[in-house]
Amino acid sequence: MKIVTQIKNLENYKIYLQVEKAVHGFMEKNNYLKVDLPVLSPALIPESYLEIFETEFNYFDKKEKLYLTPSPEIFLKRLLVAGVGNCYYLGRAYRNSEPNSDWHSSEFTMLEFYKLGINYLEMAEEVLKLLQEISNKVKNPSFAKATEGKQKLKFDRWEKYSVTEAFEKFAGIKKEELFNEKLFIKKAKNKGFNIDNTGYEDLFSQMLAAEVEPKLGVSGYPTLLYDLPKQMASLAKLNDDGLTAQRCEFYINGLEVGGFCTELNDYKEQQKRFILEAKKRKQNKMIDHTIDKGFVKALKYGLPFCTGAGIGFERLVMIFSNTKSIDELKLISIK
Amino acid sequence: MRVNAGNLKKGEFVFFQGEICQVQKADFYSPGKGAALMKARLKNLVSAKNVEYAYKSNEQIEVLDVTSVEMQYLYKDNENLYFMDERTFNQSSLSISVVGEITRFFKEGEKMFVYMYNDKPLTIRPPMSVKLKIVEAEDAAKGDTVSGAKKPVKVETGATVMVPIFVKVGETISINPETGEYTGRV
Repeated sequence: MKIVTQIKNLENYKIYLQVEKAVHGFMEKNNYLKVDLPVLSPALIPESYLEIFETEFNYFDKKEKLYLTPSPEIFLKRLLVAGVGNCYYLGRAYRNSEPNSDWHSSEFTMLEFYKLGINYLEMAEEVLKLLQEISNKVKNPSFAKATEGKQKLKFDRWEKYSVTEAFEKFAGIKKEELFNEKLFIKKAKNKGFNIDNTGYEDLFSQMLAAEVEPKLGVSGYPTLLYDLPKQMASLAKLNDDGLTAQRCEFYINGLEVGGFCTELNDYKEQQKRFILEAKKRKQNKMIDHTIDKGFVKALKYGLPFCTGAGIGFERLVMIFSNTKSIDELKLISIK
Repeated sequence: MRVNAGNLKKGEFVFFQGEICQVQKADFYSPGKGAALMKARLKNLVSAKNVEYAYKSNEQIEVLDVTSVEMQYLYKDNENLYFMDERTFNQSSLSISVVGEITRFFKEGEKMFVYMYNDKPLTIRPPMSVKLKIVEAEDAAKGDTVSGAKKPVKVETGATVMVPIFVKVGETISINPETGEYTGRV
């Protein structure tokens, strides 16, 4: 890798700053507390799909492993349990083994915020208001454009699809096929997906990425994709149908910008998931990090009823600056 | 050659559903739940249609070992481009829709590289730049001296290119054929 100076991105970077300012303004106006957090932690939540960066604190013969946080969740949920109230973090997060691509950077900026007493659909309205605020505040002479049709993007409403509706419309998958793992895998095979050593979760992600996502958020409005299969949202509250969870993702110009779910307030379920994920990490020979037991303890005490939202901040800025890649926002790029 | 799909690159060739495709775009994408993916746009080199596909990034796939052969571009008709291997005098043809937009910068008689797989021509290896003469251009409007101002001109193959306003008819310019952008005067 090398350090590259990219002064040609100055105008894009100025839009990045405007979006940042608009977010802080929105959060302040709506009584979210801005929280600054460490990015080095001695313990993490085990996640089998995220690899981490590992480093070491040294002082004479005292040595201790530290890890760059892949998400601020570990700290924010502790604070929610402790009674901080509505809060947000806008800062760095780190994910190893994720090469730079148009939509990825191993060092990136995350906006994560929690609001008490609301569910995922009420959070959708909150996120829409945030998008409106940014759209009103950011002065980009060529404005945020839809990739198809090139019309100005509007944020006065969502285009909404349940996952069931979206798979039926864009991938030709019926409801009974979507929620029956066997039928779904068979359907994926017929479509040409390689099903060797591949389970429902992976095939669902592959089909979503290949056939559904390119059609979302391209009509001039942001698209809300809601009620994901429960397998795809293990930390979200389940819906009464027993098949789906209270989780949404939103898309603009075919790109997933963020997601949110009604938080599952069940420490036993969390604990089970931790053990399973830690086992998977071991199987996949991923970095063997210290597990944050204090996190489970906090959840045992009790997370208040709330919805948490996570937004890839660079992706959000890409929308308002009409850029095609995260790299176009950077003045200094490591690549 | 077998590779992890996560290392797939634009321009490479793969079999997809039994047919040879060229990778138009390949982007790493991790949805954060489920495996990391390689989102690819594959162009079927028979039907010229694009298909979107998402590989698991750790999935093993076969990237085809293709060769490229220098050939002379002879002419085109409504559907095909015709080439000749100057050493063997063998002629090959490629469909215009497979080669794509880039064909508007092809000049008859020019040498180009054609990708071959098992003696079958697949598509063109795009040249880094092409040099073409401007055959039609308007004079820059008086007073229009804003730096970066551009005007459209027609080059000898009939394609239109945006150039800085000081460039004139008769001059030869270099163009990046993949983006259609003016890169300089020759």
